[in-house]
Amino acid sequence: MKKSFVLVCACFIVSCAALPALRPLDRPPACPSPFLTEKTRLIHAIEAGAGGKTRAVLIGITLADPAARTLSAAVLTPEGMALLEASFGPSGATIGRALSPFDSGELARRMMEDMALIFFAPAGEPVLRGVSAAGETVCRWRARPEGWVDVFQGRDGRIGIRRYSESGRLERTVTLAADAQSSYAAIELHASERVDYSLTMTLIESEAAASGR
Amino acid sequence: MSMTQAGIKKAALLLLVLFAVLPGGARADDFDRLRKEAARITTISADFVQKKTMKILSKPLVSEGKFYYTAPSSLRWEYTRPLRSVVISEGGITRRYIASGGKMIEDKSGGVQAMKIVLDEVAGWVSGRFDANPSFAAALTEGPEARITLTPTDKNMAGMIERIEITVSRRDAAIKTVRIVESRTAETLIDFQRVVINKDIHPSVFREVQ
Repeated sequence: MKKSFVLVCACFIVSCAALPALRPLDRPPACPSPFLTEKTRLIHAIEAGAGGKTRAVLIGITLADPAARTLSAAVLTPEGMALLEASFGPSGATIGRALSPFDSGELARRMMEDMALIFFAPAGEPVLRGVSAAGETVCRWRARPEGWVDVFQGRDGRIGIRRYSESGRLERTVTLAADAQSSYAAIELHASERVDYSLTMTLIESEAAASGR
Repeated sequence: MSMTQAGIKKAALLLLVLFAVLPGGARADDFDRLRKEAARITTISADFVQKKTMKILSKPLVSEGKFYYTAPSSLRWEYTRPLRSVVISEGGITRRYIASGGKMIEDKSGGVQAMKIVLDEVAGWVSGRFDANPSFAAALTEGPEARITLTPTDKNMAGMIERIEITVSRRDAAIKTVRIVESRTAETLIDFQRVVINKDIHPSVFREVQ
């Protein structure tokens, strides 16, 4: 009985307190910052996968304004048909045009949230800086409206982002290119949802966008 | 990423316009003449440049590809950049391939069903029957180039496509451009180049994706 109780407690602790511990350093490390610093338009080839298989290949267009924390996005088929046109801002996602598989709205909203996670620095100051068990330099932010965001840099220099739920469940892992010119040259996102999915994004072109466009 | 039936139908209607080129070769004095001219076409091959204009873009997104047709219903619509994709249809079977991990893989999603609906319609368009699809009202405008305007009649298309304009060269009777006006700020212009009519195309073009 006692053993069972201990086992149940252990399971509870593991499942509810999974936010990885960070070892503080005497001198807090500088936070990796791959994020956009000016209004930018990016066009990526996107391979969307689920269940270990590529499910769709798409063209993603993102116009992101980090100062206003707003972004517009369009997703096209390789043939140029717009499946999704949407925007994202402080009040959430607004869906314009949405064809299957985005017509339910939920996938479109998640995709816009994923783009915001990738391109915008977490708001505010980090609540914790330290080193993970894997030796990564990590800065941790409180996410809004809830949860946590870690921005990390591995020993190999690659920068990534992890988003956790409020209870510490890993929801997103983003790994960026080790490209000196653009962290967004190659992006890999893995989502842990009811149905896991992945996005592998390869930059086609990017440009600084004039204000107002 | 699976498509619903309604989504497939809507996507198919949208994709139809991308294939409006097929009755190329017709001298468009009227629809009857289009049909008669198209009946003489046994094969078409062409390169195309597609320019997509959207509010989110500062300049058009340019795609390039190749198009092949052999009567009565073999088709290959291939994009070579920025992303490679191939749709082939022969003997009533339609397959779509997408580039992934450096190789072409068959797309098993609902997008294939959408393409099948499109290409089934295309078989009629190849015969010069611009006005055969009840989803679009067709009109001819005479001028230096014949212009065919297709206006959606299907309410499902409301807000998706305003009209399609197809220009046909009077000099060589070949389709020159297809302009798909989706809204005030979005359109797709497909410009056909190096159009070759009635020259043999190897059957493997419609069966193999390399």
